[in-house]
Amino acid sequence: MKNAPFLKAISLTLAIAFAFAALLPAAPTTAQDNPLTAGVSDKFAGTELRLIFANHPWNNTIQRLIPAFEQASGMSLRIESYFEDQLSQKLQVGLTSGTSTADAFMFRPLQEGRLFAKNGWLFDVKEFAAADADWNWNDFQEAARGTVTFEDMIFGVPIVTERQVLYYRKDLFAAKGLSAPTTLEELEAAAAALNDPANGIAGIVMRGQRAAAVTQFSSFLYSFGGDWVKDGVSALDSPEARAAYEYYGRLLREYGPQGTTNMSWPQAVAILQQGKAAMWIDADSLFLNATDPTRSSVAAEIGFAPFPAGPAGSQPYNITSWALGINELSENHEAAWEFVKWATSAPVVAELQKSGNPGPRISVWESADGLAGFPEEYAEVAKLQSTRGVGYDRPRVIGVGRARDIVGAPIVTAIEGGNLEAALKEAHDQFNAFLKEDN
Amino acid sequence: MSSYTSSVSQPLLRSQLAQRRQRRLLWGTLRYAAIVVVLFIFLAPFLWMLLSSFKTQVDITNAQNIFNFTPTLENYQNVFQQYDFLRYLLNSFAVAALSTLFSLILGLPAAYAIARYRMQWLGVVLLTARIVPGITFLIPWFIIFSRLRLTGTLTPLILSHMLVGMPFIAWIMISFYEELPLELEEAAKIDGATPIGAFLRVALPLSMPGVITAGIVAFIFSWNNFMFSLVLADDQTRTLPIAIFNFLTYASVDWGGLMAAAVVITLPVLIITLFVQRYIIRGLTAGATKG
Repeated sequence: MKNAPFLKAISLTLAIAFAFAALLPAAPTTAQDNPLTAGVSDKFAGTELRLIFANHPWNNTIQRLIPAFEQASGMSLRIESYFEDQLSQKLQVGLTSGTSTADAFMFRPLQEGRLFAKNGWLFDVKEFAAADADWNWNDFQEAARGTVTFEDMIFGVPIVTERQVLYYRKDLFAAKGLSAPTTLEELEAAAAALNDPANGIAGIVMRGQRAAAVTQFSSFLYSFGGDWVKDGVSALDSPEARAAYEYYGRLLREYGPQGTTNMSWPQAVAILQQGKAAMWIDADSLFLNATDPTRSSVAAEIGFAPFPAGPAGSQPYNITSWALGINELSENHEAAWEFVKWATSAPVVAELQKSGNPGPRISVWESADGLAGFPEEYAEVAKLQSTRGVGYDRPRVIGVGRARDIVGAPIVTAIEGGNLEAALKEAHDQFNAFLKEDN
Repeated sequence: MSSYTSSVSQPLLRSQLAQRRQRRLLWGTLRYAAIVVVLFIFLAPFLWMLLSSFKTQVDITNAQNIFNFTPTLENYQNVFQQYDFLRYLLNSFAVAALSTLFSLILGLPAAYAIARYRMQWLGVVLLTARIVPGITFLIPWFIIFSRLRLTGTLTPLILSHMLVGMPFIAWIMISFYEELPLELEEAAKIDGATPIGAFLRVALPLSMPGVITAGIVAFIFSWNNFMFSLVLADDQTRTLPIAIFNFLTYASVDWGGLMAAAVVITLPVLIITLFVQRYIIRGLTAGATKG
């Protein structure tokens, strides 16, 4: 009887513990009803997947959804995140040395995709994609599917797409009685009308830094009817390409802010944020920088317009900026596919897109949910732009970095008002030599 | 004759004195002006960093209103709550302190031996390790460390940072030991000390200013090292220079968070440097006057 209080304490503790234990199993049943994890199999329960992601809004959103996946599949996921350039280095060191322990990772198909695929680092998901009819590979935009297909293999699954868009200041346009430009001629006229150096307001701001500007210049090139490569050789010597470089350079030289040739998007958007530019043309994925009042002093005044039409129509890029790839070296190809399939399934993509991550699925773009994550102003433009455009915003080669340097050099010359003819001739020759070596 | 000379030379002397005083005043003013200019150039980035760490994004990009803003602590909150900066801080500290310690343990006897026993070739070998660009070692190291299953621990970081620290410490200390009077050690040996005893009891205490100078610089090298840490660290073992990139994402740059993190990174080094500064100065001058 001496032990009675002790026993009482133990039985009380046990009773509480059992009560909690009884509550726990209630959770999985709700997970199974969760539409987000409806088709997830628990075949790979107990597997630990190691994933390497980029610092990207997609990553933030998917991390919020992952606990439901872990519960439904019984797998556990270990995620590391890096800034994009670090991610690329980290992956390349691990993959080159054959010691990478990642099962799947995010990569930029247009920047590194061909290099990774050519080196045999990416597992071909073609058979998996064909086998899963419910998952529906054909629901992905054609351009997105094309981006991750190389020499008849599918080296990744698109997750984030991106389009070029015109951001403009509604108040400044209204003050001059202008409406959003629909052609490149109108764009130049608007830039001229709104350029007000005396008050420190530039007509337009865009990227002017050699390699960084290439992607944003691409839509101008296509809309003038030009391209980087035609029939395997450089097309930089075409009159269309020349006209595009001329136009881009003139626009920024005459109506751009000081120091354009040092600008990538962070510098360019800073000018817009401070109300020092009337227009900005860049990727739609950057829209929060313009419309978030904690970052932009003109957040309420930002309007969106589709990329203006040039002589060859409006041909903005519409690209897959990020994809998920499975590591060829991984021992868990099937388990990794289970995760990739889930993360790119229609309900998850819809959920991601609702949080502002533009995805690759046609069905999601066509649903009401698909547009809910964007500012009202942008939703219509985004829907229009998602159905058209060119699937690449830089030369599709293996050594993308070098190619961007070559084709970007004449952009700088054009902005500075130098000898564009000579710069284009030099870039054309260098690019041809590069293309010969690249394959 | 004498009256003539004195009448001429006295006003001359007086004007010379006045001139000299004026010149001294001028130089003094110029000197302080130069100090202010140089200080401003060196401190302006720090000031900007400090101010920006208390600003919102809108205020940071506003170049017209640098000093007039409502301060916010949100950036610092993000640094420690949104990201686990305390862990990165501890990682950095452990890596820098341990790699410096081991570099000293290996580097000091090496420097002493090279100086006393004229093993110049060894010094050159050590220097080669510093001349070869660090990136050359990275992939082999990565392979070795992953075969040894050491990736994911702090060991690869400590070892790799020693590549920078150890040769540096050895090279600074070689000249230090060469300048120490040999007689002191001979006296120790006469009293029965072994060569190691002479090093530990006589040479080492005498070279403390140099040891501290070399140690603090090696510590800072390791603290700021980016390349080795990027490849050899994983999510849990990240050091501060890698962690700061958390504030750069694909579609946004969080300048406020970046600057708050920069302050957090700079502060410990600044404090340590101020604390041991007097040793550094003594260390530097000791080398200079004796040489």
